Amino acid sequence: MSPREVTGEAAGEIRHLVPDVETLAQRLASVDYLVDEGLATSMYLSLRLPQPLLLEGEAGVGKTEAGKSLAAVLDTPLIRLQCYDGIDAAEALYEWNYPRQLLSIRLADGSGTKLSEEDLFAPDYLIRRPLLRALEHPGPRPAVLLIDEIDRADDDFEAFLLELLADAAVTIPEIGTIRATHPPAIVLTSNRTRDLHDAVKRRCLYHWIDYPTPQREVEIVRRRVRGASEALAVQVADAVGRIRASDVQKPPGVAEAIDWVAALALLGVEELDEAAVDRTLGSVLKYSEDQELVRAAGLGQLVTR
Amino acid sequence: MSDTAFTVRTMYLDLPAVTTAFGRRLQDAGVPTTAERAARFAQALELVRPVSRRRLYWTARGVLVTDQTQVKAFDSVFASVFGTQEPASTFEPDEAEATPRAPDRSPTMQSREEQGAAGAGGLSSGPPGDGDSEDLREVAVPVAASDEEVLRSKHFDALAAGELSQLYRLMERLEVATPTRRMRRAQRDRRGERMDMRRTLRGSIRTAGDPIRLARRRRRVVPRRIVMLCDISGSMEPYARAYLQFLTCAAGSGPNAEAFVFATRLTRLTRALRSRSPERAIQRAAAAAPDWSSGTRIGDALKGFNDRHGRRGMARGALVVILSDGWERGDPGLVAREMERLSRLAYRIVWVNPRAAASGFSPRAGGMAAALPHCDALVSGHSLDALDEVIEAIGAEHCTPPDIRVDEPEEEPWASATPMQGSSIAMPSGYGPSRGSTTPGWGPDESE
Repeated sequence: MSPREVTGEAAGEIRHLVPDVETLAQRLASVDYLVDEGLATSMYLSLRLPQPLLLEGEAGVGKTEAGKSLAAVLDTPLIRLQCYDGIDAAEALYEWNYPRQLLSIRLADGSGTKLSEEDLFAPDYLIRRPLLRALEHPGPRPAVLLIDEIDRADDDFEAFLLELLADAAVTIPEIGTIRATHPPAIVLTSNRTRDLHDAVKRRCLYHWIDYPTPQREVEIVRRRVRGASEALAVQVADAVGRIRASDVQKPPGVAEAIDWVAALALLGVEELDEAAVDRTLGSVLKYSEDQELVRAAGLGQLVTR
Repeated sequence: MSDTAFTVRTMYLDLPAVTTAFGRRLQDAGVPTTAERAARFAQALELVRPVSRRRLYWTARGVLVTDQTQVKAFDSVFASVFGTQEPASTFEPDEAEATPRAPDRSPTMQSREEQGAAGAGGLSSGPPGDGDSEDLREVAVPVAASDEEVLRSKHFDALAAGELSQLYRLMERLEVATPTRRMRRAQRDRRGERMDMRRTLRGSIRTAGDPIRLARRRRRVVPRRIVMLCDISGSMEPYARAYLQFLTCAAGSGPNAEAFVFATRLTRLTRALRSRSPERAIQRAAAAAPDWSSGTRIGDALKGFNDRHGRRGMARGALVVILSDGWERGDPGLVAREMERLSRLAYRIVWVNPRAAASGFSPRAGGMAAALPHCDALVSGHSLDALDEVIEAIGAEHCTPPDIRVDEPEEEPWASATPMQGSSIAMPSGYGPSRGSTTPGWGPDESE
């Protein structure tokens, strides 16, 4: 039996919430996150096996959103750890509350009580950072731990995560090993700026999120931007598809499509035309070279009739 | 497993056997599969109870695939084990990485086939002994190489083992060190600039809460990433092998090195080169780069690098080394554009051009002239001794931009693709012009 195995109450809750892949997909749709079968299967397995899920994909295809939606479906807190260059245990896991420790020392000094080191390095003096908070989540359903953009952290941080990923436990030298009573559902995302270590991948399920099909993109956009007309959503999905197929440096993701429709809707545009594209191009293309390229090819090409 | 009706039954009755067999097939196809994963796959099947092949596909893929580049190989194995190619995988792997594609087209077999084909109708080795053949070759190849992209796989086995290991031993002594950068992460240091509260307070308990000894931390300093892009096109052939050795040494020097080769397309070699045995690494490199010694498209290769790797962060703050003679078959304008993009990302760009050693060198090759304004250093690196200069240029904290007058690129750069005196004579034995299949017309006595 793997240490991550969920038993008893928690397992029952999850089994009840997501008995099969279809139910999970429906529940995700009800929180406006539309998944294809591949992603639904991976997320289902990640919850039920249970095992951390590593999501990769181009920027803006909804990797982070997957974690958020999972938390919404489970109705549990989302605990997010944004990784960055140089992140370490003090920022990700725990830190000692030094002012409080100092105060206690002074207090003990003043009142003449004896204070041992164990007293000072007790859980009371611990500042809990995201990873520890996720492990200590009281349940009954597991919290969702989103470790975002893990490729931004340096590689020794990955090694630091291994114990958490494999055993849902962390070791604090002064206290010992803290094991989760309700292991969190862990979602890791990566933009592939560098290859992750095999040891991390070995402990995770892997799914590459691709750009959605145009139909699905229309649906996603319409769910995210309330009040956007279907015609506009179809046109934007189509235009975004064309831009992706062209030679731009940074192909727009679903996030950009949503932003674009939101911008157009805000301007009261009912139907995409060249003038509207021209005014709002900045919400889809964020490089001036890309804008020039698309403009040179003719904005009219993006507008379908 | 010819009968579909029985396939289902077999799976149901003998799950461990099927999953293990499937795992083994994947392993053969280059998708690393451990017993642990196979067991997890069986567990996942229990959970999902696939009702359709599609569901089975996604279940298997979610559990067994650990990288996007493995998907193609996975798809073909899945199709061969579980039937027709359904579902069509919805995305194209975006890079030609050094991953074997499928069991029936393993790199070795592929290269053997293609070597045979090249041997029969090889076109890039011009008529030997012809003084003008360099020109002929440079003109003749692009038509064939660019349009049809004659993919030729060359075996490094052709190189005498003694020479290879000799050169490698010499190169092993080279130490490639890159400039450093400061990380956010700090480490203990008695004279560091920041207070280490954790240690200070911990120590203060010993002295009744009075922090007497101040512990300090200093920002960690790490070497910058080095990204090497090596041209392995026809005109670079005499150098490419030696440079690949150099790449192996540098790539093996630490986790912060990335290596690519390009001719008509970009191939990532980092994984292939990071092995203990350099000979095997070079063999793997040859297998992974099917465009070995075909035409050059520096602009396309740079664009491919910028789009797939550089922009995502590989080139950011990194030291980029480009090893190429700058002969560009495509549009030099594209080279200039992509070099400009790269220079905005990279910390420094060092261009290693073996032809720069010749006296009176001027960057007349279209690609070189276009790239030069964006290079921070131009070194020759045409011999083992000259590689020291390369290493110096790589390691220098500051350097002055190359002080070479850029001549107007000539209208027809290929017409002037004359080999320059002395540019290759200093190469270690075995890389000179005398070898049968290497570029003819490189000898100092053969130039016009």
